[in-house]
Amino acid sequence: MGHLILSGVSKSFGSAEVIKPTDLEIVDGEFTVFVGPSGCGKSTMLRMIAGLEEITSGTIEIDGKVVNNLAPVKRGISMVFQSYALYPHMSVYENIAFPLRVAREKQPEVDRLVNRAAEVLKLTDRLKHRPGELSGGQRQRVAIGRAIVREPSVFLFDEPLSNLDAALRAEMRVELSRLHSKLGNTMIYVTHDQIEAMTMADKIVVLRDGRIEQVGSPLELYHKPNNRFVAGFIGNPNMNFLPVTCKSADPEGVRVTFADGSEAVVAVDCGDARPGDKLELGIRPDALRIGGDDAAGLKLVPEVVERLGNQTVIYAIAPDGTPLCVVGDGFAEVRPGQQVAASFAPADAHLFGKDGAAFARNFDLSRLDRLA
Amino acid sequence: MISKYKWWELVITYTGMALFLTFILAPFAEALMVSLRPIDSVFRVPYRFFTDNMTIQPYIDMWTSVPKLGRYILNSFFISCAVTALALACIIPAAYSFARFNYRFRDGFLVAFLAVNMVGAAVLIIPLYKLMFSLGILNTYWAMIIPGAAFSVPTGIFLMRSYFLRIPRELEDAAYVDGASRLYTLRRVILPVALPGIMVVTIATFIAAYAQQFLFALTFNSVTDYHPLPVGLYQFFGRERVLWNELMAASLVGILPVLMVYVFLQRYIVAGLTAGAVKE
Ligand SMILES: Nc1ncnc2c1ncn2[C@@H]1O[C@H](COP(=O)(O)OP(=O)(O)OP(=O)(O)O)[C@@H](O)[C@H]1O
Ligand SMILES: [Mg+2]
Repeated sequence: MGHLILSGVSKSFGSAEVIKPTDLEIVDGEFTVFVGPSGCGKSTMLRMIAGLEEITSGTIEIDGKVVNNLAPVKRGISMVFQSYALYPHMSVYENIAFPLRVAREKQPEVDRLVNRAAEVLKLTDRLKHRPGELSGGQRQRVAIGRAIVREPSVFLFDEPLSNLDAALRAEMRVELSRLHSKLGNTMIYVTHDQIEAMTMADKIVVLRDGRIEQVGSPLELYHKPNNRFVAGFIGNPNMNFLPVTCKSADPEGVRVTFADGSEAVVAVDCGDARPGDKLELGIRPDALRIGGDDAAGLKLVPEVVERLGNQTVIYAIAPDGTPLCVVGDGFAEVRPGQQVAASFAPADAHLFGKDGAAFARNFDLSRLDRLA
Repeated sequence: MISKYKWWELVITYTGMALFLTFILAPFAEALMVSLRPIDSVFRVPYRFFTDNMTIQPYIDMWTSVPKLGRYILNSFFISCAVTALALACIIPAAYSFARFNYRFRDGFLVAFLAVNMVGAAVLIIPLYKLMFSLGILNTYWAMIIPGAAFSVPTGIFLMRSYFLRIPRELEDAAYVDGASRLYTLRRVILPVALPGIMVVTIATFIAAYAQQFLFALTFNSVTDYHPLPVGLYQFFGRERVLWNELMAASLVGILPVLMVYVFLQRYIVAGLTAGAVKE
């Protein structure tokens, strides 16, 4: 129930290839999140899986059946749209009942299913209202209700929370996760939001320009990004990138020199790095410590300091002009314009080649498995 | 937005509106006053707006001066209704197709429709006469209904199309994902949501048909029983004098059906029927 396989799926609008040939497998019951910058083809991918958009080549398989030419209902999917797409002239009850009416379900059965969906979504006392009389969060729940009432095997969500305010968004996020554990359906979820992606996903698919950049669990993507794009995309604030030069490459790591001449050994698989190569070192803002005495050090000049209470976000520039972001504790001793020293543990650093590909980090993912 | 007007801005605004309304309503006021006078007082010099011998007698006499007046009013109403129904039956599917489907020459067709509208019925009256003649429908209701509908279709399509374009496409996608066919979606989702637009088109078509029927009736029909009111009014032009007061009375009564239709339908032209459909 809900095992999805895409093989060689691509999509062109006219001459523009919006989705490059893509392979992807999503196992039954998995919560998969598609992320990527605006216009990278997330919605298009979702609409192809839904059957709203014809695929140019390749096959989509659900539960071992090729569904390329099947209508959405026949595929056993249902979809919640980027806008809610509720029927404004119908009551909440009729909105949720719509798929059942189309399927000519008997009235007692409709009653039972709608009431059950309404109960799950806490909409029972809103059934008589029109969508126009509901709050944003309630409308969103009606849209979800309409999708779950048919008991599909695959659920598609296109940025369902993007227009809600922060508090409601957090609440709906928890509700959706709860819904997923209750229903156990396969869910595919498109979002721009880092937190949604990191917290809800079993598996994240990072897309760029119609191509899958990496597929993996949230922490896998965070700790072992395949390339510079994924590293920069996952994690908030974004990873810092510093230009470095390879000094020597050994099995235990790559020794690099910074612009100011200081050196550090990054614990990565040296791959094909050769002395003299121009590389990029990636370091997350929270791995940098102001005034720390870790092995690798940098000098930087803070430009903007944001104090959030529990932490301080510092936007600074390195002497060579590279912008850097540092997340320190709430009492970090920094002031705009006054140079400070920052340091990081080389084990926390990432290293990327000229083409953006990451050197494999010596990072033990099994450490994360224990947390699951 | 806070709107605060200076006193003189308000004066200008209201003066403008008053002037405009006076221009539009003065003929009606005069028609009403004429219809409430005996025929001898109509041309009295000097002119007085109110006269002391006001009477509703013309409203009673007109039914006997022109015995078929009731029939003419009904004809007018019937022809306009039929024109509206026929036109809507063409406008809605056509406008939906223009708004939603992609096909070659689509925009060309739309422009062609509007071009026909610009030429207008009066220019085409002779060819139309020949057409009606060869179809054998001269001197029937059809001779007034079919051209009436045909000439209101282009504007109707244009109005309706822009309304359909405003309905979010995702509404149809959602219905399709839920398993509904195109026709089911059109009937259960699109038409109810487009109801205010349909009402606007209905009213516009009805009024246009009411105004337009004179030309078609005059040229394509000579059967007295089928005449609509505007043609029927000619019978108030007597041998030696025109019964202006009864003519005005009959005209005003003839406007009533239009007013009734308008009052009845305008309740449906409520803004915000799509409220809550999609995220704003
Ligand atoms: N019907 C269409 N015709 C032509 N190009 C299209 C069509 N639909 C989408 N595209 C193009 O496909 C690309 C991907 O669009 P898509 O809507 O999938 O982006 P997205 O990742 O969902 O973006 P967002 O995050 O802004 O919603 C865009 O460059 C867009 O211009
Ligand atoms: Mg999108």
